[in-house]
Amino acid sequence: MHPDSLTSAVAIGPLPGTPPAVVDIRGLHVRFGSVDAVRGIDVSARAGEGTALLGRNGAGKSTTMRVLAGVVPPTEGVVLVAGLDVRRDLLAVKRLVGYCPDVGGLVPRATPWEHLQLSARLRRMSNWEQRARDLIERFELGDAAHRVTSGFSHGMGRRLSVALAAFHEPEVLLLDEPFDGVDPLGVSATLDVIGEARARGAAVLVSTHLRELAIQACSTALVLRGGSAVARLDAHELAGEEGADVYRALLD
Amino acid sequence: MSTALSSTEARFGGSPLNGIRDALEDLGALLRFRSAALDAKGRRRMRVAGLAVLLLTVAAAVVPAVSPGAQTGEDVGRLVAIMPSIYLGFLVLAVVSAAASGGGREIVPREQAVAWPVSSMTDHFGALLLAPLNIAWLLQAWTLLGTTAYVTGHPATLWATELPVLLYLVLATALGAVVAWLLEWVRRGPRGVLVVRSLLGVLSASLVALVLTHHVTDVLDQSPTVWVFVTALNGSVLSWGQWLVGSAVLLALAVGLVLVGALPARLAAGRAPREEHRLESGIYEPRPDALGDLRALVRVDRVGIWRSLPLRRGLLVLALMPGLIAFGGQLGWDRLTILPGLVASGAALLFGVNTWCLDARGALWRESLPVAPALAFGSRVWVLTEVLLGAALVTVLLSTLRAGIPSVPELVALFFATLVVAAQVVSASMRWSVRRPFSVDMRSARATPAPPVVMVGYSTRLALGTTFVGLMFSGLGETDQWHLTALIGLLMVLVSGYRVARTASRWEDPATRARVVVTVAG
Repeated sequence: MHPDSLTSAVAIGPLPGTPPAVVDIRGLHVRFGSVDAVRGIDVSARAGEGTALLGRNGAGKSTTMRVLAGVVPPTEGVVLVAGLDVRRDLLAVKRLVGYCPDVGGLVPRATPWEHLQLSARLRRMSNWEQRARDLIERFELGDAAHRVTSGFSHGMGRRLSVALAAFHEPEVLLLDEPFDGVDPLGVSATLDVIGEARARGAAVLVSTHLRELAIQACSTALVLRGGSAVARLDAHELAGEEGADVYRALLD
Repeated sequence: MSTALSSTEARFGGSPLNGIRDALEDLGALLRFRSAALDAKGRRRMRVAGLAVLLLTVAAAVVPAVSPGAQTGEDVGRLVAIMPSIYLGFLVLAVVSAAASGGGREIVPREQAVAWPVSSMTDHFGALLLAPLNIAWLLQAWTLLGTTAYVTGHPATLWATELPVLLYLVLATALGAVVAWLLEWVRRGPRGVLVVRSLLGVLSASLVALVLTHHVTDVLDQSPTVWVFVTALNGSVLSWGQWLVGSAVLLALAVGLVLVGALPARLAAGRAPREEHRLESGIYEPRPDALGDLRALVRVDRVGIWRSLPLRRGLLVLALMPGLIAFGGQLGWDRLTILPGLVASGAALLFGVNTWCLDARGALWRESLPVAPALAFGSRVWVLTEVLLGAALVTVLLSTLRAGIPSVPELVALFFATLVVAAQVVSASMRWSVRRPFSVDMRSARATPAPPVVMVGYSTRLALGTTFVGLMFSGLGETDQWHLTALIGLLMVLVSGYRVARTASRWEDPATRARVVVTVAG
């Protein structure tokens, strides 16, 4: 497929007859002072669907994630999560979303267990301990469960951030650069978590620069450039050498 | 800052002069790097603040010499007797400030400076340069210049009187840095924390023994600062020969200590910060689930303070030092009202003025949790208040041990002075935290919650506000109207409460929160 045709083939929103989108973003603008971080992005993701947000640094991927997580308010546009408006029902949206931020994402002087404990308390989770232990073991953080996170390596921090995002089995799982600096076992655990979330019907959005992993984790890819969406395509269309050329062309 | 040998240090090993020149050049580059981050408004503010400090310093050195009662007033004799103690007090302050901050503040935070080969000598010079950017240092320096001018300064020879004082300020600051680097080197060595704590224990016990055996005055009379004061005096009585020798010795010592400090700085930089590593690698046993959302939030906020090296160390120093000094000096109840403000301001300057820095990079995750903004804000207010009040209470308790039995008005005045300054400082801290957040990780003992220049502004405003309140309640404590004192105190607490509520409503705005958390998370 030629990149030009991809650009013109941006198709936003569910097709007729398909289930409603869990994530529905229309005309999203985010402005920081005089800087337009996001300029009119439309995104939709249905239950069980994995969407990769791809693009160069500063394309608007992380800002879009932050808006969905309820951390940054939209300047313009409509952002719905499971039908709830992120502006009006912020707390309800936050309950539905699990978010792994792109930077750090961990309170430096708290332990992984204390992070999970706080999350469980604020999300009204009962009998959460077993789920917490499972995730900690799965991401091979058992030895560090009761150590403060400021002593963690970058990869350990990323793994814990993914575990925290997936902990309460959210309807929308937002993973911003989850593979960054993570070892192969950690990558595998992250892919498993994404697979499980999709299998139980969660919409998963993954922002990453690692194209091959994005293809493995997601069914759809949305390519952003300069704060706007330039293409939405099947993730497999970005596979291999041909896919790499297509992707590179979309970035320029 | 770098803890490894750098190319700059290799050159220092070859030629000390080249090393000094390179360190000064590097320091200039780092200062330019820091000032480049300021916008036009920030630079204008910095220029105005610099000019204000300069004018105040000149005023402190000149005005007392021409004020009524200078050199002839009834209080001059009493002041002459305590001048060496005031000089010594400045040295103690210089040592404690530098030691509490692990050798001194950083020109560029460690995590940012790792990209460059910053030598320990540059780091040392930078720490010395930043030492005066501290309201306690400035106030003490102005007191020193002012009292010397008042007691001895003839307008015609004022420059000769004040020159040795200025040299002493440099000398004491450099000596403080030398002691601080040495302590840091010991602390980072085998059993270092134990050794340093034992040293402090012995020192504290000796001071208490001196106080209890009434030998404080004898020791102070032997202070080498007597000689510094005599040199300043020689300038005013035109004993030029002695003045010249004294000033030359002060200059040589000051320059020597500035240079010598690079050696322990280098030794300390060569050792890993064990205490930081111990805090980061220790096991913290899990606690039972918190019973409410606020308690859960408060618990995480509290660990941000008590597991942070600079905050723990700073709070301990703040809680104990003023109290011990008041204990030693046997301050009366009328003067104790000043202390809570001093301690509360100092505690806020450790983290409170940028309170969201406790979350650092975790700010984004915390903001994504489903909790009402007011509750998260309330948790921070709660934790800040308990820390300020806790530290102030320790100080007040220590200082009242030898203050005698108070009258009811004195007791009420001290109670409300403590309450009012705590409320005042919490209100200002929360306001500044929301208005002007900074991305910092309070990991290193040398970290500050905001850039040094900003910290000077904050500390000045806090010091002015809380000192005014302390003096006001000191005056109220002298009257019999304790009901009036209580009424004024309650009104002032209510005003601060109202201001906190106003800041909380600003925090409710998602755009404001986003600006803060995105900035803090870096």
